[in-house]
Amino acid sequence: MYALNKVDKHFPGVHALKAVDFQVGRGEIVGLVGENGAGKSTLMKIIYGAYQPDGGSITIDGTTMRFQNPRQAMNHGIGMVFQEQSLITNLTVMENIFLGYEQQFVKFGIVDWRAMAKAARHQLTKVKLDVDPAAVTSQLSFAQRQLVELAKVLTLEERIDGDLVILLDEPTSVLAKEEVELLFQLVRDLAKRASFIFVSHRIDEVLELSDRIYVMKDGAVVDVVTRDEADVDDIQHKMVGREIDKEYYREQKQAPYAADAPLIRFDNVSVDNRYRDISFDLHRGEVLCLVGTEGSGREAILRTIFGLETPTSGAVTIKGEQVTRFTAMAGVARGVGYVPRERKVEGIVNGMNVFENMTLSQLNKYSDLGVLRVGDEKEMAKDWVDRLAIKTPDIRKDCGGLSGGNQQKVVLAKWRSGGSDIILLDHPTRGLDIGAKEDVYEMVREMNDAGVGIVLVADTLEEAIGLSHTIIVIKDGEFQKRFDGTPGAKPSLYDLVHHMI
Amino acid sequence: MTDISAQTEALGGLLTRDRIVRWAPVLVLVALVLLFPFFEFLADLVEGKEHVYLLDSRFFSIRNGARIGIAATPALMVAVGATFIIIMGSIDLSMEGTISVCAVLFAFAFLGWGGTLASWAWLAIPLALVVGALLGFVNGMIHVRLKIPSFMASLAMGFVGTGLALLLTGGDRLRVEDELFRSLLTVRWLNFPIMCYVALAFLLLAWFIQSHTALGRNFYAVGGGEQLAQSSGLNVARVRIMGFTLAGIFFAVGALLAVGRIGIAETATGNNFMFVSITAVVVGGTALWGGIGGVWNTLVGVLIVNVINNGMVVIGLPPYVQDGVLGTLVILAVALSTNRKSVTFVK
Amino acid sequence: MNLERIKPHFPWMTLLALVCVVGAANPAFFDPLGFLSLVTDVVPLFIMALGMTFAIYIGGIDLSAQQVANMVTVVATVYLSQFGIGVAVICVLAGFLFGAMSGFVTTRLYVPSFVSTLAMGFIALSAAKYLSGQRALSMDVTERNTSFGWMFDSTAGVPHQLAIAIALLAFAWFLQTRTSFGRALKAVGSGELAAVASGLNVDRVKILAFAISGAFAGIAGLVFSVKLSGGDANLANGFLLLAIVAVLVGGTPLTGGVGGVINTAIGTLIVMVIRAAMVYLEISATQQQMVFGVVLIIAIALTIDCSKLSGVVK
Repeated sequence: MYALNKVDKHFPGVHALKAVDFQVGRGEIVGLVGENGAGKSTLMKIIYGAYQPDGGSITIDGTTMRFQNPRQAMNHGIGMVFQEQSLITNLTVMENIFLGYEQQFVKFGIVDWRAMAKAARHQLTKVKLDVDPAAVTSQLSFAQRQLVELAKVLTLEERIDGDLVILLDEPTSVLAKEEVELLFQLVRDLAKRASFIFVSHRIDEVLELSDRIYVMKDGAVVDVVTRDEADVDDIQHKMVGREIDKEYYREQKQAPYAADAPLIRFDNVSVDNRYRDISFDLHRGEVLCLVGTEGSGREAILRTIFGLETPTSGAVTIKGEQVTRFTAMAGVARGVGYVPRERKVEGIVNGMNVFENMTLSQLNKYSDLGVLRVGDEKEMAKDWVDRLAIKTPDIRKDCGGLSGGNQQKVVLAKWRSGGSDIILLDHPTRGLDIGAKEDVYEMVREMNDAGVGIVLVADTLEEAIGLSHTIIVIKDGEFQKRFDGTPGAKPSLYDLVHHMI
Repeated sequence: MTDISAQTEALGGLLTRDRIVRWAPVLVLVALVLLFPFFEFLADLVEGKEHVYLLDSRFFSIRNGARIGIAATPALMVAVGATFIIIMGSIDLSMEGTISVCAVLFAFAFLGWGGTLASWAWLAIPLALVVGALLGFVNGMIHVRLKIPSFMASLAMGFVGTGLALLLTGGDRLRVEDELFRSLLTVRWLNFPIMCYVALAFLLLAWFIQSHTALGRNFYAVGGGEQLAQSSGLNVARVRIMGFTLAGIFFAVGALLAVGRIGIAETATGNNFMFVSITAVVVGGTALWGGIGGVWNTLVGVLIVNVINNGMVVIGLPPYVQDGVLGTLVILAVALSTNRKSVTFVK
Repeated sequence: MNLERIKPHFPWMTLLALVCVVGAANPAFFDPLGFLSLVTDVVPLFIMALGMTFAIYIGGIDLSAQQVANMVTVVATVYLSQFGIGVAVICVLAGFLFGAMSGFVTTRLYVPSFVSTLAMGFIALSAAKYLSGQRALSMDVTERNTSFGWMFDSTAGVPHQLAIAIALLAFAWFLQTRTSFGRALKAVGSGELAAVASGLNVDRVKILAFAISGAFAGIAGLVFSVKLSGGDANLANGFLLLAIVAVLVGGTPLTGGVGGVINTAIGTLIVMVIRAAMVYLEISATQQQMVFGVVLIIAIALTIDCSKLSGVVK
């Protein structure tokens, strides 16, 4: 019924979807699994009309479609239940259900609340939710809001002729176990009226619900299995299965770290609603990698070390001193450097030049009584531009105009020139091309050799395994397992995935 | 089996944070109304005069209530207009200019067309409303189409308006002395002048717009989640422009009542309305970042502001303290209503 | 040639064009003495705009500047006889303090600056009314001349008022370009999140920016008060619009991070020329406000950096 035929999508520097074929039959529940970055979200955005494909076609019952925006897709029966709550919490349930389509209840600009409530109640019965349509959405639990979102999408049933395709993006992430059961039951019932595409990183759930499962990796569909022949282990292997190139991650340059006094010691540290009871040590010359899915608490741990989050319990010790003041300023003073994921927003200051960016964290060092020594700044910047081979015509060039890789080098130069010996890398290779990635890996090894301790949240699992001395797997904010990453004894992708999801 | 339908937060629990925040303005109002008579009571006690709390109060009397009502009505209309804008998460600082222009144009038309409501001069009233709508519309267009933050767009429009009013009058005052029009102030029903009832009618109209029209609800949608509303197919730009237009109409009503109160239209008619009305809106509990509050909050806020102004005079505090008190009040109200966890940084 | 490339050059080109047009229409405009007195007249406004630049440069706004200046005219007049020239210190400190309070309310209490400064302005107004007893005060002429008479002299043809303005501009320029504070200001204005992630004390930088704005507003009030030899809670009314216009037409956009104090100097000159032109075209003072309101709207629309507004303009 609904089909994507050889759909291609390119972004600058990335081939996000490679000739993807994808079919949904009438009344079918189709699962879609893949690692972060495998292309799931791009595929979904193409399906619900947020992106347009560069190549290939979308057909519904054999007719080729082209959607310019989500609303057009909606008018052809394609609805999306978002992972992040997309309800406006200060409005009532019924207003949310009919948001953008209230016109049917409006006469002379006046809303007929009774008619809207009646229609809303009708939608809510479809998802078996018995709440007052006039209740304010913020009073609802997350599970209820999820169902309201589903009810909102199901209004398509009345609005359009033809079949419905409903995308469920990680619908279970905020639900308790029993609620997941209820949701699944509901989806199975609703499959009489609509087809579903179910996207999740919890493979067991996908297996339980879906009739067929698409496995994606690196922007391509690598396998399609029916429920009967599906096997968790097999799917996990297909999701991640590839050989690790030891050269690529500079494994031969990985030296053992100094196991003496740790740079950082986490002792049962918790931050409410982020992570619980995390303990680890980071030593000089060590790469410690935090592995987990999106939202597992990895980033929050990095931010705690830097001082942007304050623990609610436990003790953080940096270089032998217990940390009591959690501010970024104090973190920088302790020698912690943070390379954030949002490079263009948090990493570099767009609008400031190369040397201004490099000295931003160490203005005191380059000033006397508040007066800058610009000559010294420039000298330092020139030195680091040479050392890291930063490609810029001039140190007066606006950092916003540099390539991603060179921006990342500027951020690293900022911290290393300031003498930081604890570096936090949050997705340091995100969005970089292969050459720039290799530069980053090279720099990681160099820093290790110089006695710098690194806490890494990697962009891919291969990167995590290839680079790290120690891997800590975290799931839903809790410690799962610690792996040793000595060359030759590194864990496999499968070992990690197994504990992550 | 879990029953998801039963998960709705129980509305019980008398002192939830939400509830306290919601009712705080009313409590403040009640406290103020009880506080000022208490000061009077104390003053008389010190002097040894006989004084029964509340009963002998000059503040807590119908006479003074009417006085507060008269002072509050124009500001109430202006604040109601601003409420719609603030619900959308924007702000409108153009009211002083808009009011002056409306008042002056009204006066010109009124005087030119006969000078009494019993003639064609009544047409000056709809004219003033149209002018208000037009100024609001222009304001909204500048804000939305030129992508200028509303505080700046409206501030600039306010300056333009004041300048325009000055241009029209050349600094002169226009006297509107028609008895029929002035009966807004002079004729009283149940001790309150007609203007209070007019304001009440417009307040009810505003409430109706807020809760029973698609436009009114769309203000809340825009304030609660602009991008979500946009992606649901709402024409946010249109809603914003209509909001500013609507606010302009209410500013015009405020202008008419202000002229009715003092019988004079001039460039200075709009003076002080900006700060008082914004103060009233935020003190009433309508959040500056949008989506929460409404016209009843604004009524409470306007009353708080005017009770303070009036009460301070009654207990003999110098009038210049008012500005400072209101300034402090605004800061407190905004600071207390801000959920710090949801704000990353403020400029 | 694209728009973005020539944008930074708009202000001085506008100034040049305006000067040519006005000069062509009225050659008397180029008379050195007349021109000098025009420039001297605009000094208090320039000083206020200079301070305002700091607030706008970090992406905020200071709507209290006019009221702080009002308050300072009263402070200067009331305390002149008591402290003589020392009153200047009090004036600057008072402005600094009010600005710092605005900054504190903005950063620590999370009140957007257009509201916090508006509110602080009314507190300043209250203070001004209290100090002045709601009357227009005037300075004792002898006292004024002993303490501040030097302001009306000139050295080598340069009026001392103008010298003050130039000195303050130099100071502000030094602050903006040569100090670590100036660098931090730029970082906060261009990318606040990156500034936080670099460990800068962003709150302190912002508070200081508002405090400087207040201090300059104080100096503006003092100069104005000495010029008019008096103080009143409404004396400086009308300055706010012009100060904001001067900053924005100078090329410091509302979104911050670009432009700076030199731009404001150019912006103030543009305001001055427009005013002169209006006098020449016999547009009365009453109509000027409308013209400047429109100029303001055009200036914002031309300078604002839409990419920084992240889609939502409230």
